[in-house]
Amino acid sequence: MNVTQIFISCDSAAVALGADVIVEKINAESKSRGIDVKVNRNSTRGMFWLEPLVEVQTSSGRVAYGPIQSADVSDLFDCGFLEGHSHIKYLGLTEQIPYLAKQQRLTFSRMGVTKPLSILDYKSHGGFLGLKKALQNGSEFILKELLDSGLRGRGGAAFPAGVKWKTVQQTEGEQKFVVCNADEGDSGTYSDRMTMEGDPYMLIEGMVIAGLAVHATRGYIYIRSEYLQAITVMQKALQLATESGFLGENILDSGKSFFIEIRKAAGSYVCGEETAMLESIEGKRGVVRAKPPLPAIRGLFGCPTVINNVITLASVPLIIANGADYYKNFGMGRSKGTLPFQLAGNVKYAGLVETAFGLSLRQLIYDFGGGSRSGRPIKAVQVGGPLGAYIPESQWDAPLEYETYAAMGAVLGHGGIVVHDDTVDMSKMARYAMEFCSIESCGKCTPCRIGSTRGVEVIDRIINNQERDQQIELLRDLCNTMVNGSLCAMGSMTPYPVLSALNHYSADFTSD
Amino acid sequence: MLNHIKHDIDHGTPKRESAEEVSLTIDGYKVHVPKGTSIMRAAMDAGIKVPKLCATDTIEPFGSCRLCLVEIDGRKGFPASCTTPVESDMVVRTQTDSLQQLRKGVMELYISDHPLDCLTCSANGNCELQDMAGVTGLRNVRYGVGAQAGAHHCDAKKDESNPYFTYDPSKCIVCNRCVRACEETQGTFALTISGRGFESRVSPGQDQPFMDSECVSCGACVEACPTATLQEKSIISLGQPEHSLITTCAYCGVGCGFKAEMKGNTVVRMVPWKEGKANEGHSCVKGRFAWGYATHQDRIKTPMIRESISDPWQQVS
Amino acid sequence: MQNITIPQLISKYEKIPGGLMPLLHAIQDELGYIPNDVVPNIALGLNLSRAEVHGVITYYHFFRTTPPGKHVIQVCRAEACQACGAEELLSVLESSLNCKRNQTRYDEKITLEAVYCLGLCATSPAVQIDNKLYANVTTEKLKDLFGELEINP
Repeated sequence: MNVTQIFISCDSAAVALGADVIVEKINAESKSRGIDVKVNRNSTRGMFWLEPLVEVQTSSGRVAYGPIQSADVSDLFDCGFLEGHSHIKYLGLTEQIPYLAKQQRLTFSRMGVTKPLSILDYKSHGGFLGLKKALQNGSEFILKELLDSGLRGRGGAAFPAGVKWKTVQQTEGEQKFVVCNADEGDSGTYSDRMTMEGDPYMLIEGMVIAGLAVHATRGYIYIRSEYLQAITVMQKALQLATESGFLGENILDSGKSFFIEIRKAAGSYVCGEETAMLESIEGKRGVVRAKPPLPAIRGLFGCPTVINNVITLASVPLIIANGADYYKNFGMGRSKGTLPFQLAGNVKYAGLVETAFGLSLRQLIYDFGGGSRSGRPIKAVQVGGPLGAYIPESQWDAPLEYETYAAMGAVLGHGGIVVHDDTVDMSKMARYAMEFCSIESCGKCTPCRIGSTRGVEVIDRIINNQERDQQIELLRDLCNTMVNGSLCAMGSMTPYPVLSALNHYSADFTSD
Repeated sequence: MLNHIKHDIDHGTPKRESAEEVSLTIDGYKVHVPKGTSIMRAAMDAGIKVPKLCATDTIEPFGSCRLCLVEIDGRKGFPASCTTPVESDMVVRTQTDSLQQLRKGVMELYISDHPLDCLTCSANGNCELQDMAGVTGLRNVRYGVGAQAGAHHCDAKKDESNPYFTYDPSKCIVCNRCVRACEETQGTFALTISGRGFESRVSPGQDQPFMDSECVSCGACVEACPTATLQEKSIISLGQPEHSLITTCAYCGVGCGFKAEMKGNTVVRMVPWKEGKANEGHSCVKGRFAWGYATHQDRIKTPMIRESISDPWQQVS
Repeated sequence: MQNITIPQLISKYEKIPGGLMPLLHAIQDELGYIPNDVVPNIALGLNLSRAEVHGVITYYHFFRTTPPGKHVIQVCRAEACQACGAEELLSVLESSLNCKRNQTRYDEKITLEAVYCLGLCATSPAVQIDNKLYANVTTEKLKDLFGELEINP
């Protein structure tokens, strides 16, 4: 007899919305009704306004219901959700929900489909094909594919990954490292978290391929301390991958080895900067190093080191498995492939939208996002995390790709999109940007260390109308010092949100 | 013969040895230096002083003060000359309008968190921060200074626990030179920065008084400090020296070279001599600070001899 | 009763490259904070100076040098949460719990902290209480929760 398969996400956002309670409730309800069901805990589809999302396997595919509250559960049974029947929370076939159907899920193709720690699930959905191909074809092949794919670092700096890997490969070194930056500290971003919690083998596979490409045998994943579940899942995944021969000694009998260790961060945004992260892994204060030397030449413990963000490394297996041409056919200009945009903040349908570069912010926040959650007009959208500019409506039609945004004085960063409605006071957001910089500054360079604190004070004077014109001029001068004088992006990019707020929403700075 | 006090030339970053020579242009001058040399040091070789605070040639470059920024043809932004090595055919400019504005902006930030007591400060006349305020042409601190600006450290308490020097955090610019000197020059690691961001402060041990930390009073930190933050007590009481003599430490057999910094016949400070072949600008606590014997009434200044252990000492004639 | 002693932890991490960070985490997991008086032992074990260890502990906001309250309430005030009322939520909590942000209440029952991103930006505002995450948080929702935890003042 076939047991009905039910799928509920174990992603921490789903759990924070009560997914565990729904699982218990469904189990209890089926038991009391004498129905045999199996509840599978899979990753999340990334449609967070629908979480907890309950999916049921039917002959025509998975049917979705959501968001489900405990009170809905017995009703679901009554309506026959196990046969995919209609209900007030009925969403139809999951894959046909427009939000998902309109996306181009390459890296996130398994997301919401597979069980995070099931190697069987991973393999049956294309997992480890890239690794096998990489093992068969070797370092030069991997590097060529990666270079040809045009993959650029997804952490924010958008540096061509292949160029970085090539440098490490060509640098002499007894020991080399692959470090995965999973210190996803940008507000409005959660794609790294979803990957680690939901599809951990993809990251492991990417790191092993990186090791093969550059001849490194050791890797670290530096995960922020706030991501408890990601750490737990990754830890378990490392163990299972090792037991199954995909990691560790003599991978798949190839004679090649690669070992991965997890390092837990400890609450420092700057440690998302690559050299500060290296310092932290070395057990030191997470203070930014001056470059040169580049980490690719002299990185972790003085050895040549590949440092990439989670999504960069997670994109590699697919590129190797399907070929560079497949990947680079997505995107536009020099922005190849897809980016998992993360809709966040005051937006109705907040969630992960993986699409090729090139769609507009307007499409993203309205066609996908459905406008603001509050129902009020959208006033400002911050793209690219706390160091990204606020984008005013006049620029919402520009294509989301690296060069266009750079020309606008903005960044795509890690793909975080934070929406604010018209109740937002942009002078307060500018103040917050400086405040965040002052809280997170590592304290090494002067423009960031002292400048961020002075920035808060100057904006306070502007808000309080104390010598407002002079203080606005001073703020602009300070921003110039920070942009051009700071050692790393923390200080040099904090002025992006500040100046964009000042330039595009000047009324917020001059009203009393 | 008296030598008027001459501060050793600070090349900014340590010397690099290389068989390979690199040629570049700095402010229109052709410079040839060993590969691996910093732009800052190469500039100094050409007689061009790039403004700096966190760099000094006895410790590795750090890149924190952001005063030594320069412009390099074909490169975007303003790289720090202390941490950027020379490259062949580089064309560097150390003085432009943008650089002037940037340096002034950085100095304005520094001074907004620094007491304005230069006239009564023990480093008066020998302070790199003061020099840089002059060099950058800072005329106005628009943020205000100290409490006027907002958050500040101008009231931070002085630590006078060490018998030879004081630590005044209110004057600290967090250049890390003391921390790095303790690590690189002395190897004691007694100092760190505690906290982060604006709260960053030099901390002996676990934010303890110097005497309770692992400090061995070698004075490398004091020598490295560009301001009055770490200052010899003798300078505080006697003022700055006006001439100096090169001498050799009279304690052990290492033979450390010292600059005896004097006022008239009075020693105000003993500074390890950078050109001393045995010590290259470093020393231990004895030569650096324990030179009180020099003027002690019991000090023997001529050779003495005695016939046998029971006989009295006699001057050798 | 402690399951594992500090010297045991130190010997576990002393040979690991960059072992200081995982050691500090392990100590905080064990004791809830990193007391000042374990610093000399850590330094000795890892062949570091006390200053070095102190510098690292004070750099990272996650590490505590004093014990937290019985319950730790972390409210995210990063942009995505602010866009959905996090600042108001935090202010309401400060007054209703009688505890300022980044402080431990007089009765040591709670520590209230502002944090910067819990990764629940699509379901903001987000709060974490004793390592358990809550999304789409409202003051009403929290009131019920506080009742269960008996942390109302």
